[in-house]
Amino acid sequence: MSYEVMVGNKATAVGCKLARIKVAAVFPITPQTTITEYLSEIHASGELPGFEFINAEGELSSQVIVQAAEAVGARSFTCTSGPGLLYMHHPMQETASKRLPLVMAVVHRGVKSMQPDHSDLMSQQWQGWLHIYVENAQEILDTTVMAYKIAEDKRIRLPVAVGYDGYVLSYTAEPVEIPAQEDVDAFLPPYKPMPSILPDQVDPKTFGAGWGEGDPMKPWQMHHEAALNGETVIKEVFAEWGKKFGRTYGNGMIEPYRVEGADCVITAMGTIAGTAMAAIDRLWTDGKKVGLVKIRSFLPFPRKDFQEIAKGVGAIGVFDRSCQPGMWGPVYHQMRSTLYDEEKKTPVIGFIGGLSGKEVRVEDMMKIGEKTLKVAEGGKPEAPIQWV
Amino acid sequence: MSASQRMTRAQVPMEEMILAPGSTCQGCGAAMAARLTFKVLGSNLIRHGIPCCPDQVTKHPRVGAVFEGGGASLTGTARGLKAIGREDVKAVAFFGDGGTYDIGLQGLSAAAERNENILVITKDNEAYMNTGGQRSGGTPKYAETTTNPVGPNSRGKGEPKKNIPMIFAAHYVPYIATASVAFPEDLMQKVKYAKDIIGFRLILIQAPCPVGWRFDPAKTIELARAGVQSGMWPLYEIENGTAFKLNYKPKELKPVSEYLKPQSRFRHMTETEVNEVQTNVTTNWQRLLKADEMKTVVL
Repeated sequence: MSYEVMVGNKATAVGCKLARIKVAAVFPITPQTTITEYLSEIHASGELPGFEFINAEGELSSQVIVQAAEAVGARSFTCTSGPGLLYMHHPMQETASKRLPLVMAVVHRGVKSMQPDHSDLMSQQWQGWLHIYVENAQEILDTTVMAYKIAEDKRIRLPVAVGYDGYVLSYTAEPVEIPAQEDVDAFLPPYKPMPSILPDQVDPKTFGAGWGEGDPMKPWQMHHEAALNGETVIKEVFAEWGKKFGRTYGNGMIEPYRVEGADCVITAMGTIAGTAMAAIDRLWTDGKKVGLVKIRSFLPFPRKDFQEIAKGVGAIGVFDRSCQPGMWGPVYHQMRSTLYDEEKKTPVIGFIGGLSGKEVRVEDMMKIGEKTLKVAEGGKPEAPIQWV
Repeated sequence: MSASQRMTRAQVPMEEMILAPGSTCQGCGAAMAARLTFKVLGSNLIRHGIPCCPDQVTKHPRVGAVFEGGGASLTGTARGLKAIGREDVKAVAFFGDGGTYDIGLQGLSAAAERNENILVITKDNEAYMNTGGQRSGGTPKYAETTTNPVGPNSRGKGEPKKNIPMIFAAHYVPYIATASVAFPEDLMQKVKYAKDIIGFRLILIQAPCPVGWRFDPAKTIELARAGVQSGMWPLYEIENGTAFKLNYKPKELKPVSEYLKPQSRFRHMTETEVNEVQTNVTTNWQRLLKADEMKTVVL
């Protein structure tokens, strides 16, 4: 174990090295670029034996390269931001449909500006990946390693995207604890492809063919069930990490903050959660009992956790850092759908903010808390969804 | 390749790697290309497919990729195999002209520029045959396709076929060859030679398509032979982007009309248009002879 002050993008590269990735294919795009440079340094230094580093000619190819490398049994990695992720859209569906446990860092950059919001990863909801949003450099490093364990679990076998806010996190230096390699090796066993494509293996399999005979909807059903298994597997993997390395992030799916005894809760994802924590502390000082739930896993959505939380609070204020024009925020919709069948009706109000990098201050999050509290106390919201 | 590297008929493997019965049309040139190619390559490979016609052609485990992802998919397989210590397994493509000339060009160009250790077999049937015969960058001038119908405003395709071997030669890759199903020994020798070269290799095989080109499916070999003998489809090799060798040099070329006439995709052509094609082929042939004599690429 050692410590180093490093930026978020370096934490990703160090996490990849600890996970002993074998192949990385990358293409530079702000604010993800420095990950590609750190990885190229790891390759050039020879400190990760057998590591194949590929400068692809675009994001579409970087996604396809690591997809094929995963298929032959090499643990692989790629990373991108905003428009680069949109360019990957086509092969991303295949990575998931081939059930390949790739891990990709998505350094958030909005689709309407170069500044961060979650519109890049949120636009890929239908691609069949698991989506985890993280808040700080330590969490990036830890989650990168854990993401491989989650993705490669035989109940999942799906690619995992680890999202974190560009600029504010990708380029911000923080002290990070680097776990010892032998401890990570004990936590994360080598990747075994399932099934094997190698021609000299028993019954080698083809990747990317049609389903053939039988119910053509079966692969969809299996894919959906695997994604839902994420809720169990993510919790298991994060619990094991906590036991081994002494760091926990709630239960892996969510990270509650001062929820106990709170009259209402607000939610946040990524770096905004840090801002929200400061707001929550001030609200409690003012005697306003507002809790925070940081959503770590958006896909699968922490349905069971929120159904439980909703039982004890008067309202939930959902913060969305993306907007689907004409349909509002995706987290808001998930939350309402999650709670729709519950016996106790808990009001859910939506807030959209931080789009295209618009600053979200502690005061903004306090206001969201106060507005949610008012609804919990029986007041009517000014509007079901409000722009912050 | 030198004379000592040539393959004799006795060395042609007996084992068939092709799926039989296959799903291809009668007289499919691409199916013949697959049969000859994969006989030589054997079983220790992962075949790569992208949308093309025909695709499900051999028994090998296959990686399918998005249409534009052929070059990247081969790269990932080759690098992944290297990373897990299984470089004995070859990454081999069986792509069409669309996936090589058009939508797949960017990724293949990048793989060539990085000199990835991959073998690309392109069967060139000169149009998007998988979707019913639409124009591609590989379609020759005057050919009628379903998106180049002949009419008062159209004489079929208006532009010449993209010179893809020379585009890849300009990437300075170890080996590029053209081949024809009508010259099976030449084709198989080239595949055998390319098999063990380290780096990017491209073999472009002309694959007559009776349905798309509209000719009698019994005449596939005759037509392919006429293509080579008329200079419409010359057989040559380029090593390291410069060293050039013309593999088939008849004393005299047959007229291009022998190649054009049996194909209904060219039936609208006037005598003037046929003469124009003849002039272009003759000029190109002189250039190829000069390149062969100088042993270097002449553009």
